[in-house]
Amino acid sequence: MRAPAVRAPGAGAGAGAGPGAGAGLVAGAAQDRPVTPEQPTLRGRTEVVLAAVPGLGGLYARGVGTSARHAVASRLGRASSTLPDVVYVAHGLRAGADHLTAYQHLLGESASDVLPAGFVHVLAFPVATALMVRPDFPLPLAGMVHLANRVEQLRPVSLGDVLDVRAYARDLRAHRSGTQVELVTEVRVATGPHGSELAWRGTSTYLAKGTHLLPRDAADPGRAPGRAGSDPWVAPTATAQWRLAGDIGRRYATVSGDRNPIHLSALTARALGFPRAIAHGMYTASRALAEVGAARTEAFTWTVEFAGPVLLPGTVTVRIATDGATGGFGYTGWNAGSGRVHFSGAVVPRS
Amino acid sequence: MAASPPNSPDPSGSPTSPAQRRAVVVGGNRLPFARAGGPYAAASNQDMLTAVLDGLVARFGLQGEVIGSVAAGAVLKHSQDFNLTRESVLGSALSPQTPAYDVQQACATGLETVVGLANKIRLGQLDSAIAAGVDTTSDAPIAVSDNLRHALLKLSRARSVGQKLKAVAAIRPKDLAPVPPRIVEPRTGLTMGEHQALTTAQWGITREAQDTLALASHTRLAAAYDAGFFDDLVTPFRGQTRDQNLRADSSLEKLGTLAPTFGVKLPTPATMTAGNSTPLSDGASAVLLASDEWAAAHDLPVLAVVVDAETAAVDFAHGQDGLLMAPVFAVPRLLARNGLTLDDFDFVEIHEAFASTVLCALAAWEDDEFCKTRLGLPGALGSIDRDRLNVTGSSLAAGHPFAATGGRLVATAAKLVAERKAELAGTDADRPVRVLISVCAAGGLGVTAILEAA
Repeated sequence: MRAPAVRAPGAGAGAGAGPGAGAGLVAGAAQDRPVTPEQPTLRGRTEVVLAAVPGLGGLYARGVGTSARHAVASRLGRASSTLPDVVYVAHGLRAGADHLTAYQHLLGESASDVLPAGFVHVLAFPVATALMVRPDFPLPLAGMVHLANRVEQLRPVSLGDVLDVRAYARDLRAHRSGTQVELVTEVRVATGPHGSELAWRGTSTYLAKGTHLLPRDAADPGRAPGRAGSDPWVAPTATAQWRLAGDIGRRYATVSGDRNPIHLSALTARALGFPRAIAHGMYTASRALAEVGAARTEAFTWTVEFAGPVLLPGTVTVRIATDGATGGFGYTGWNAGSGRVHFSGAVVPRS
Repeated sequence: MAASPPNSPDPSGSPTSPAQRRAVVVGGNRLPFARAGGPYAAASNQDMLTAVLDGLVARFGLQGEVIGSVAAGAVLKHSQDFNLTRESVLGSALSPQTPAYDVQQACATGLETVVGLANKIRLGQLDSAIAAGVDTTSDAPIAVSDNLRHALLKLSRARSVGQKLKAVAAIRPKDLAPVPPRIVEPRTGLTMGEHQALTTAQWGITREAQDTLALASHTRLAAAYDAGFFDDLVTPFRGQTRDQNLRADSSLEKLGTLAPTFGVKLPTPATMTAGNSTPLSDGASAVLLASDEWAAAHDLPVLAVVVDAETAAVDFAHGQDGLLMAPVFAVPRLLARNGLTLDDFDFVEIHEAFASTVLCALAAWEDDEFCKTRLGLPGALGSIDRDRLNVTGSSLAAGHPFAATGGRLVATAAKLVAERKAELAGTDADRPVRVLISVCAAGGLGVTAILEAA
């Protein structure tokens, strides 16, 4: 699949400009080996420092391999039910200007020098993914479902900032249809030769469907607002309508590096059990964040819960409105025909 | 550059100018408005703008005249029309020494152009001006896709054969499909009609009320044509002598047969049809503005004074207010600044983007709670009787070539107050005769103005 838009992580953009296909990036499986021996940290986790940000393509390829291993281990009753006690670290990341512009244009952000919170997720995501493809990570990457995401943007991150990323996994727990886990990613901005400041913290909740590692009695009852409970969900007044073209998954894959086959084409999505390609959850959440606009302020908390896939091409009816209860904005995307909710979330200024 | 503006304050900060000079409406001219794909389908914006300027020149004897400034705009504009107004002036019978510039504020372009030029006249920067607007939805600009544009621009910058091949190789077959303009709000993806359907539902405006307003628009516009009201406001073009959309024989029964076109997916009943919404239109309009002195020196009549104007905008993208509700906020501020109430107007001209746009505005101004909480007023702003509202019809009947609507409204309004003033001559000659003008626009914009009989 060719990149239709401006080639995202600009070739030759220099130091680790992001995940995916950038020529200046280190892609492939062998590159994310630790350069320093695993060392315990203050938090008790062993630190694994990556030589460079790995390419997601290679990680997915490796994810398939570890997923196969998981399947075998599961059948033999040898599946691990604990998370590896490690934190993955990557130093010295920078955004590339071309990559940033391509992302901003696709998501409806104006091309400012401030990195959208969703773009920071794109930059940092491969570090978390590298952790998830470790042989001792208990859940298979292939087929993992993104349930929810929470980002705390503590201060702006700008083009030119030098970023350090740390990622670790926590809170492995049973879900009614499998096992869920949280991946926490922290991004610090260098503030001087030795100092740095925490700027961004993302918490992504994933579900490994059908992988039951833990007793089910503690299972989350489920959180999809469109389906949960006996009260039927009533659509609010819409404020917008997104007509998503069939290629939006491929276009977001280009700027995010997330080339999960379920987003790329009907054919590849069908192979994984979806009738058509589905939009990236983070595309929908990031677009809602863009539409909140400058009112989100410089520091905010941005949350989303994904309730149901958006099939492509498709139309999503959206409400993005001020929410008196939080002092910020709430947003919901749904299918006007079926009345099913696709996603809902909030953007709340921190001060 | 002027050394010192005529009305600059003195060092003590108190205004030194005596009575500020007035900006007056001398008259107007427009083409009969046509439906998209109709008799003007082959005419460009520049063709129609030139034609409407020439009609104004003919009406007021301005051949070879240097006008202080001509400002005009079009909402749907081709990229080669970067200097549309100046090019049209050069093609007109005005002096080629007449300066010109382009303005654009979506559907409020025409009225904003009048306001800006009137202010320049009041400041003494201009003695005469022409405010105009034009739009063609028939000859709308078709753009190329973003990918094709990026590739072609890269190609034009490429130096080596390798770079050129790379730029060309980036073009995919689907990039070659042309991109027509869409009448949707860029930030929401909803068409204007879909937006208005939400507001219509919010204010509970009925189908019957909308059809009644639409019918009044047609019958009043037809009656005004029959009475000769437009004889000195409209110049025939391409065989069209009246607005093509006008249905003199329309009826509530006929309007009632039309199927709803907007809001059909909302939980509330869909009420907006092609009959109570404006059609896509082609046309142009122009208004001649001047100082009293210039008008007198050219032996021209003076219809009305441009008294004041107020613009507002609403946050429609985040569900707070309807897309077309900005004038609801502008009018109370305009009235307060001028010490007026709705009862002080003989006429009210509210652009009929949709029948329900007008009805939502009226409902909001009559709503105690809304006026208190959203407009900061002690209570409801007031009501507008239908016999003062759009008395010679409006956009539902005439059509709405976006940037041309403001000029149509201002010329019509100026003539209405001038005629009423003349009627009062024997009895109540000192009573001010005012008209309130209100235009909503894409982007959550609204421009409002007050004219008073000169």
